[in-house]
Amino acid sequence: MSKYYLFQDTRTCIGCHACEIQCKTNKNLPRGAKPCQIIQVGPKMINGLPKMSFIFMPCYHCEDPWCVSTCPTGAMQKRSKDGIVFVDKELCVGCKTCISACPWGAPQWNPDTGKVEKCDYCKDRLDQGLKPACVTLCTTGCLTFGPAEDMTQVRRQRHAEASASFENSSF
Amino acid sequence: MAEKTCPVRTTLIYLSDLIDSGSLTDPKIRRICEQILHLTEEISEGAAGNDHLLAIDSLIREYLDMKKSKETLETGNILKKIFTDNREIFQSHIETRNCPSHDCGKLAPSPCQMACPAGIDIPTYLSLIARGEDDKAIEVIRRDNPFPWVCGLICTRPCEMMCVRARIDTPVSIKFLKAFAAERAMSEGTYKNPKKKGWNGKKVCVIGAGPGGLTAAYYLALMGYGVKVIEALPVSGGMIMAGIPRYRLPREVIDREVAMIEDLGVEIAYNTLFGRDITYEELKNEGFDAFFIAIGAHKALDLGIKGEKIFPKVLEAIGFLKDVALGNHHAPGKQVVVIGGGNVAIDAARTSLRLGAKKVTIAYRRSKNQMPADIEEVEQAMEEGIEFSFLTIPREIIGKEDKITGLDCIRAELIQKEGSDRLIPVPILGKDFIIEADVVISAIGQYVDDKGMEAFSQVNWTRRGTIEVNHASMETGMTGVFAAGDAVSGPATVIEAIGGGKRAAEAIDRYLSHIPQPRMPKIPVRHHMEPSVEMTATRKMTLKHPAMPMLNVDRRRTTFQQVELGYDEESVRKEAGRCLRCDICRRCGKCIEVCRDKMGIDALQFGYMDFDHPTGTDFRVTEKKCITCGACAANCENKAMVLEEKDGRRNLKLCGTLLNSQAIQYCENCGAFLPSAEYHDFITRKTGNRVKRTETRLLCNDCLRLLSAKTNVETRPAGLK
Repeated sequence: MSKYYLFQDTRTCIGCHACEIQCKTNKNLPRGAKPCQIIQVGPKMINGLPKMSFIFMPCYHCEDPWCVSTCPTGAMQKRSKDGIVFVDKELCVGCKTCISACPWGAPQWNPDTGKVEKCDYCKDRLDQGLKPACVTLCTTGCLTFGPAEDMTQVRRQRHAEASASFENSSF
Repeated sequence: MAEKTCPVRTTLIYLSDLIDSGSLTDPKIRRICEQILHLTEEISEGAAGNDHLLAIDSLIREYLDMKKSKETLETGNILKKIFTDNREIFQSHIETRNCPSHDCGKLAPSPCQMACPAGIDIPTYLSLIARGEDDKAIEVIRRDNPFPWVCGLICTRPCEMMCVRARIDTPVSIKFLKAFAAERAMSEGTYKNPKKKGWNGKKVCVIGAGPGGLTAAYYLALMGYGVKVIEALPVSGGMIMAGIPRYRLPREVIDREVAMIEDLGVEIAYNTLFGRDITYEELKNEGFDAFFIAIGAHKALDLGIKGEKIFPKVLEAIGFLKDVALGNHHAPGKQVVVIGGGNVAIDAARTSLRLGAKKVTIAYRRSKNQMPADIEEVEQAMEEGIEFSFLTIPREIIGKEDKITGLDCIRAELIQKEGSDRLIPVPILGKDFIIEADVVISAIGQYVDDKGMEAFSQVNWTRRGTIEVNHASMETGMTGVFAAGDAVSGPATVIEAIGGGKRAAEAIDRYLSHIPQPRMPKIPVRHHMEPSVEMTATRKMTLKHPAMPMLNVDRRRTTFQQVELGYDEESVRKEAGRCLRCDICRRCGKCIEVCRDKMGIDALQFGYMDFDHPTGTDFRVTEKKCITCGACAANCENKAMVLEEKDGRRNLKLCGTLLNSQAIQYCENCGAFLPSAEYHDFITRKTGNRVKRTETRLLCNDCLRLLSAKTNVETRPAGLK
């Protein structure tokens, strides 16, 4: 895994898709390619009430990624300093093997360039000391990003709160 | 992020869309836009001079000065902005003839088209012929050459020299396919002239009704000029009528194609020698605004040997052939010796044989391999029994009184001399011999007969006795006087004269419309992109060049019937299908590189794409290794290589040739197209021992995301069962 962690608080997310738009704008992507995507799950009746959630699906930046080992050209790489999995556009020939290999559908096809796009946590922005585009403009602030060691705090807090209140499931 | 499209290209698209949209109702505005488009096209083709941008500027000024409606004013301002903002890029296109973003190079013509002096769009018409659309093929050819039938029979075919198919097996028989299409279209009545513009009030005088002169007349007539052609002979065609014997080019072929040009209103004045029967002053007074000199090279060079001026039976080949063409069918003699090694020498020899000469010998200074004549011509002559005396230098024509008895010759040997790449024949002392003959025909070359040209006082002549022109515009030193064909190049080919005539017609139009002339000769233009002919890899590889059926030798030795009988229709359609469509595939080799070096699959064996070191080519190999990943297609800039998904198959095609076809797999959830099983095997091999989700369920990218989102919450997404 990369040394970063991108946390989505599904309880505060309202499914506005602003993250998708910021991501596509930042990378200047055409229709179709969505390096991050909000997937609507539900609505489903839970305890007599319709419940729905929005799941933020970026790339997980696996420890030993399928996409990297399947890429025939070496375009798909893992950045050694922080473990970010990214695609080098210069090397990508558009064979789409990474797309087929990834179990989570993270690599995306860019029909305009004939090459693959994927979430790289906006590494160019990170290198300038900024946050990923999706996080920066998240309307509800449900997306948080940082070094993995700092991020556990949110979950602990959440779990503690959840444990204290039976009304609130982690849903 | 995709690079910005070249502004030259964007401007071209903007202007052609504007003109095509029909929104330019004001004729003056339309004319200005068309002229700007024309100038921009030349900039994008690298054929523009420094005046182009200035001319565009003044056209835009003219446009804006008209103070028309608000909408049209807006278009004018857009144009002004385009040419102001991108001035440097336009300037660089003019200076370097290079488009850094490759956008303007996307229409790079094929090698055959580049090799054609008339720049005919060969791949387009070959595809049309392969589909049986002969009339359309003729229409395409006649955009660059009004003589498809003539050229189909006698062209020296520089296109076939460059044909890329030769790197696989043999070149496509481009020349003859043209003749077939022309003959078929003419016979069915579908050989038609394009619509000509109405008379624009200007008149052009063409001197010489040969291929160059008539070509210029054709294009000028189409552009709306009144054209009068002055011809010294009683027939039209010039050298193709007078110089090329009927067994190679039937007279009817010339007559029919010339008649098409006359149909456009071109007037041909026969038996009229310029300078004698009609003068420059008279024509000027008749209101001719421009002159085009296409008088050819009809005067034979002297042999410069003893006896040449003594005997009446020393003939010059070109005069002899002209005589025969005009109807004198008497044998020149019993034993004929022709001196020379070019096509004219062969023509004179074969003509003599057909007129009844018992023995015909061609005496040439060098050997067979050095003959400038076409190899087919030489071989056909040998089949007919023409004798060749190689390494033979004529010394003297001998005879008694005014009758020739023989040609005194000396044997030569070929010596390589420093500073010359041509072998020099050097006489061997003492090795002299006599060839018995009663006629000697000299065919050692022609030059331009400048008699009657005195009126063009400012036209400059080269040291070779040809007219000096600017080759981009065919302008002579005299304003309003243009020249092309053999008169400019010295004795050359029909297709060069046609190309020159076409260039001259364009230049004359520009001269009379006050548009600056191009600085560089125009690059051949591909007029449109004809879809490729579809066939299997096996068929593409196994189609064979058909042998040309010939008239039997007895008839060839006795009559003037056409020697080459032509292919039958089936052979023609097949032969046209052998074309590799180099107008679409630029043979950059990126597909091979991606497949072999990047993907490590090496399924593309296209050895012909390597110009310098062509290796084996086999389109059939691809289906054995290819996984239809589509990387080659994704990297093909010209869409020559395409991966299409059709009828449950993923098909890989190179310019219509089906290289591979594999079954599409489908997403088990939504039914979306997934790659082939071969492709998944490739991924499985790469990902090794990892657990593959796709091994258990075959899902598309979107469904995989849905599935993993589901695992994040207790509820399952609505779409996934």
